[in-house]
Amino acid sequence: MDLQTEVLIIGGGATGTGIARDLSLRGIPSLLVEKGDFTSGASGRNQGLLHSGGRYAVNDPDAARECIAENRILRRIAPHCIEPTDGLFVSLPEDGPEYRANFIRACGAAGIDTLPLSPREALAMEPRLSPRIIGAVQVPDGAIDPFTLVVENARDAESRGARILIHTEVTGLIRDGLRIAGVRVRDRITAEAFAIAATWVINATGAWANHILRMAGLQIGLALSKGSMLITNTRLSERVLNRCRPPASGDIIVPNDTVSILGTTSLRAEDPEHYEVTPAEVTFLVDELSRMIPDLKGERFTRAYAGVRPLLQSEGTNDDRTISRGFALIDHGSCSGPAGLVTITGGKLMTYRLMAEKTADFICERMGLHVPCSTHVQRLPGAGHGHTLKDRLLRLRRQTPAAKGEILCDCELVPREAVDAILREGKVRELQDILHRTRLAKGTCQGGFCVYRLLGLLNERSKADHRGGSNRILKGFLEERWKGIRPVLWGRSLKEEELIESIYKGLFNLTPAEPGGPGGGEA
Amino acid sequence: MKRFDLIVIGTGLAGLTAARTAIGMGAKVLIVGRGMGALTLFGNTVDLLGEIPPDTEMEEGISRWIASHPEHPYARTGWEGIESAIAAFQELFPPPYNFAAAGRGNSLLPTGAGTMRPTWLIPVTMAAGAAMTPAETLIVGFRGFKDFQGDTVSLHMKCRGVTLPLPRYGLEGLTAPALARLMDETSFRERLGEAIRQQMAGERFIGLPAVLGLRDPAAVLKTLETITGARVFEIPMLPPSIPGTRIFHRFREELIAKGATFRMGHPVSGAVVKDGRCEGIRIDNPPLVAEYRADRFILATGRFLGGGLWAEMERIIEPVFDIPVFQPGERGQWFGERFFEPEAHPIHRAGVVTDADLRPVDTLGRVVLANLRAAGSILAHHQAIEEKSREGIDIATGFLAAKKALAL
Ligand SMILES: Cc1cc2nc3c(=O)[nH]c(=O)nc-3n(C[C@H](O)[C@H](O)[C@H](O)COP(=O)(O)OP(=O)(O)OC[C@H]3O[C@@H](n4cnc5c(N)ncnc54)[C@H](O)[C@@H]3O)c2cc1C
Ligand SMILES: Cc1cc2nc3c(=O)[nH]c(=O)nc-3n(C[C@H](O)[C@H](O)[C@H](O)COP(=O)(O)OP(=O)(O)OC[C@H]3O[C@@H](n4cnc5c(N)ncnc54)[C@H](O)[C@@H]3O)c2cc1C
Repeated sequence: MDLQTEVLIIGGGATGTGIARDLSLRGIPSLLVEKGDFTSGASGRNQGLLHSGGRYAVNDPDAARECIAENRILRRIAPHCIEPTDGLFVSLPEDGPEYRANFIRACGAAGIDTLPLSPREALAMEPRLSPRIIGAVQVPDGAIDPFTLVVENARDAESRGARILIHTEVTGLIRDGLRIAGVRVRDRITAEAFAIAATWVINATGAWANHILRMAGLQIGLALSKGSMLITNTRLSERVLNRCRPPASGDIIVPNDTVSILGTTSLRAEDPEHYEVTPAEVTFLVDELSRMIPDLKGERFTRAYAGVRPLLQSEGTNDDRTISRGFALIDHGSCSGPAGLVTITGGKLMTYRLMAEKTADFICERMGLHVPCSTHVQRLPGAGHGHTLKDRLLRLRRQTPAAKGEILCDCELVPREAVDAILREGKVRELQDILHRTRLAKGTCQGGFCVYRLLGLLNERSKADHRGGSNRILKGFLEERWKGIRPVLWGRSLKEEELIESIYKGLFNLTPAEPGGPGGGEA
Repeated sequence: MKRFDLIVIGTGLAGLTAARTAIGMGAKVLIVGRGMGALTLFGNTVDLLGEIPPDTEMEEGISRWIASHPEHPYARTGWEGIESAIAAFQELFPPPYNFAAAGRGNSLLPTGAGTMRPTWLIPVTMAAGAAMTPAETLIVGFRGFKDFQGDTVSLHMKCRGVTLPLPRYGLEGLTAPALARLMDETSFRERLGEAIRQQMAGERFIGLPAVLGLRDPAAVLKTLETITGARVFEIPMLPPSIPGTRIFHRFREELIAKGATFRMGHPVSGAVVKDGRCEGIRIDNPPLVAEYRADRFILATGRFLGGGLWAEMERIIEPVFDIPVFQPGERGQWFGERFFEPEAHPIHRAGVVTDADLRPVDTLGRVVLANLRAAGSILAHHQAIEEKSREGIDIATGFLAAKKALAL
């Protein structure tokens, strides 16, 4: 199979899908390829903070202004992906009152609304905060659901004519003299290799940007920084909590529906694919964030995960946090590289739309087209549908008992019908794809129970198609789950883990090399 | 204040065994527990040691195994200790709902994942599972009962499977206890037997989820076998476990009948310790805290799940007496990199270390409290989950702890 397109986009994160949507709204055909599933890069591995810009106000006023502008736009175009929680910048005695004064001034200059609060007022709003606080400032932070955001950008782009291939990896760039004329790709599931011809190739691979560029003998100044995060079983606060001090590690708690996300660390990484959350990072995050919420140690943690940020390097600095969080749009043709290749990387989830706008503006200009951007006013298709647990409960309650059907995941109320519908859609090729599209396995038991049920559903289909059974999927799931849960195994999550091991290794006798059924079924 | 000869802390299989053994020796016993323990979650059969191959005789296999595992709880009881404890357990379950070994060694029984699992004593409702062959077996699941996926079982076992609707009941709330209660109704099981019969294509065995009644499982079995003309067996599945609940009920009935005092639902919040001995325990029953005194104590509170052990970020503790706990390294070393490792995760070896009399000792081997013994899975140096030795350890050490505690 060989394909052809006007604009080829590499990367199915927020940036890539955002570009596909922007181009589709301007009537420019594109084809997006993503080597994994949507959100398998940083877009699915971040803290989900809808920045007000406050975090950058003192040190990087331009970034702060960018944030608050996009903050207002995203609330308009993607209200269903955002929980407008507001945020507090909390001062502990060791943070001092000076930074707080600077902070309020700098926010004012950047156009970010602030509301100074006394310790008493702040504690009344967030009772779990440390009684040691000397003050707080409220800003319009929020929580954002990157999974829905990305999938809907993709869906909307597709409905306007863009094509999208997931599980399809770019393995090489095709040169035609001084131009890049397309890419070579490989289907990661069927192993089929083919070529896609394109007039423009956009490299929106975030931390992988240099992997793509190396295929053309190019390189840009990118540092990779790993950030680890922890998820608590319950929601710790109503609002985003930040430390009111110069940005550092372990100073943000973001509420997300029924849970909270604690972050982050910042450690140099070499490889955007292989990294793990270390016990030292976990200890650091819990210790550091206990300063804001003192009884954090007794909390139940359900999962740890990490992501890799691509940080654009500027000269002469070693601290990753002072490297700009801004983004870069590079036309390689105009800096002695081949024509037809553009890289867009860096930035934040917050700024994905702006990054997409700038990229599409550039493409339009080069094509000699004058179609203005409209993503700042065109709402995403799902706007109006809530995704929180409360919304799911309400939807369930509205149904008649007969229509309610079976709930596959009791922690997160995922109905069997929702998974059936995804399977019927047909594009799903791995268990992971289902897990990315539903809240299945994201709750307290982290899939310990529902994966058995999900497996039953998959086996029902295998049986209907006269295929055999295998525990490969089940074991694969348990291994993947393990990566997220192992770093947080103490206290109540360790207790729960004994239950899960007792089921799968004890009761079901699954082993590394499982003997299979009496009929000699494969392992 | 009432004074007891023995207080057993923990109402899992180890605590129940210890209490029953002590009652049998004429002691005045109090048994206290917070919940019903792993028994009602995973209890189905009585495992002794799954890794003994099915063609090896159990006594020979375990005796040889003990020699190479000197720290294991079985090394405290020896084969003789296991044998007499198991015999006492079997006496508690006379026919028709009895437990028996299917051979001289382990037998393999099908599970809810369609895998086969080794075990030793099998309740009568599961016995046919050890005799079935896939070609002659029909697996029956129930639509909407999500804790037993019939298609998963039949697909893996390579036998035929059907999923039957249960028309009278909505899909919501179809739980194992609800199904078991329905099975206790004669009319329900007769209709079910009839529905199964209509699906049969000459099969000689029928496998069902382990929900064949709480009150009289042998009668449920009989009804189904008579109607279908096939041998019927229960298949262990996701918790909670109905067969485990039957075991619990039988013990409780026996203990209460024999005069033991049973206190359930309230946690033990602490101990009264004086001069190296335990004098009493406190039970939280808000707004009251009750104190109970006794001459001897047995700690059978289970592992992490049961609350016998608790992992803080830095170390593992035993919450009732705060006695020393063996711990395999620091947090980063508790678990292996993968979920499935060739060896059990190091954390599973954590637990309370004892002397030959099951008295907890510190790192120097000194007895911590002269009149306290530990029994069951709280003990260190076993790997019950992978070894498939949970019930064996509970029964053998619970039995031995009571014998030792009451010996003069
Ligand atoms: C720890 C951490 C916390 C963060 N917290 C926040 C936050 O709270 N708020 C916020 O606004 N931002 C946050 N960010 C930043 C934000 O996550 C990223 O800026 C954003 O997701 C980048 O999106 P992207 O589409 O550019 O990159 P990605 O999402 O990484 O997408 C790149 C995609 O390219 C694909 N790809 C790579 N190579 C190939 C190939 N050869 N062929 C095909 N596809 C390929 C990858 O699989 C990947 O899906 C955080 C980042 C990290 C790491
Ligand atoms: C804003 C935000 C909110 C979040 N909220 C929650 C939450 O409430 N609860 C929660 O648990 N997590 C939550 N997460 C974390 C999320 O579930 C992932 O751990 C994280 O996004 C990393 O992505 P991943 O799934 O690709 O990563 P991985 O760490 O590779 O996998 C994580 C999980 O994905 C599944 N999985 C991945 N690959 C496979 C595979 N090959 N086969 C089978 N299963 C697989 C498993 O469930 C696994 O546990 C949140 C993340 C973000 C960004």
